[in-house]
Amino acid sequence: MVSAPDPKADLLRNAGMFATLETGFQTSTPVLAGARKGSIAVPMDADALVQAIASSADRQAFARLFDHFAPRVKGLLMRGGAPADLAEEIAQEALMTVWRKAALFDPAKASAGTWIATIARNLRIDHARREKRSRMSKVFEILDEESPEQPDQVVSGSERDARVRAALTGLSKDQYRVVELAFLEGFSHQDVATRLSIPLGTVKSRLRLAMAHLRRHLEDLR
Amino acid sequence: MNARHLASDETHLASDETLAGFASGRLDEGMALVVAAHIELNPASGRSLRDIEAIGGGVLAQGEAVAMLSSAEDALARIEASGDAVASASEGSGEAGLPRVLAPYELGKWRPIGRGVAMRRVHVPGAEARVFMLRAAPGMWLPEHQHTGYEWTTILAGAYEHQYGRFARGDFDEANEDHEHHPHVDPVEGCTCIVALTGEVRFKGWLGRLLQPLVRL
Repeated sequence: MVSAPDPKADLLRNAGMFATLETGFQTSTPVLAGARKGSIAVPMDADALVQAIASSADRQAFARLFDHFAPRVKGLLMRGGAPADLAEEIAQEALMTVWRKAALFDPAKASAGTWIATIARNLRIDHARREKRSRMSKVFEILDEESPEQPDQVVSGSERDARVRAALTGLSKDQYRVVELAFLEGFSHQDVATRLSIPLGTVKSRLRLAMAHLRRHLEDLR
Repeated sequence: MNARHLASDETHLASDETLAGFASGRLDEGMALVVAAHIELNPASGRSLRDIEAIGGGVLAQGEAVAMLSSAEDALARIEASGDAVASASEGSGEAGLPRVLAPYELGKWRPIGRGVAMRRVHVPGAEARVFMLRAAPGMWLPEHQHTGYEWTTILAGAYEHQYGRFARGDFDEANEDHEHHPHVDPVEGCTCIVALTGEVRFKGWLGRLLQPLVRL
């Protein structure tokens, strides 16, 4: 059953997209979507949207998540070298998985954005290795279930992710690119050096500085 | 000293480079499985993995969007057409006493390969690395060997020791080319580990000659 499109919801969504493109997006800190337009202020909290899908199959929440994350997953995959049609397919499947697995989402472990990034990662692996009968996405699921309860953990996974995000904005452009290739694309340091045509030692020192910076932001969580 | 051991020599954890390769899904599945066993058994690496995944989430949030051709309604229609495939619980918990990440894989039988040592193959379809478990009796010396590729090991039980330190349950031993070692198994507990190998391995000694054809698999 598809509910009739609500024009107001569309307006909110579009306003949200503007705010997002201009200000960046924080999943755990509500962004006042549309605040710039003056009239409508709706907190865009991706964690809450996933929980709304889990609790009440909220299609409007899904639409907002889709409109925000699907184009970003697609962009991420294309930057990683995926052809546009495959990136489109994986981005759509990633959001379909968000709908199906919403009940398994746990903001104490990770923010919605990080959760969706890992879903997209698993789908990319499945597509790349489908013919080889890969079990890797199962392995990731098992590790996710295993991740130990941490009663001494000061803040939730969502809060940690928000801090990582804040720390990422403090990286220089060069550091950010190296982090993206090494940590998201998973290239070896040597491959990063080759791709950026810079010496291996430069890759290592940029990563070291970037990691020290990121870890400083997370230190008190340990 | 081997450069790969510098970063994690003290703690015997997987390096950030290895964890990032794992987190991105770019590692060979055989190598990845040994890393997964380490992450399951070692909470510190579990936390590092989640940090790396958080960086992935952050990069996703800040990255450039590319317009979708399909809409949320299209995705919902596809979900409805496919029936409500509810999130599946993961399959059986696997063999007692083994890391759960091994559950999706077929394991061979333990085969003795000489006195005090047994091996068991782990079938990882499509992997380039050969993966196996090795069980050695207390006090054994594992054969001295050298490799042209990688040899990654996660200790599942007991311990061994070589020139880079003592490796016990949950520790990760990341060795690459030109790295020659000769592990001594804990004299009380023995040692069981899971190993992924790429490239050629050259064993020395009588046990090595027994192991040589087996690791080629």
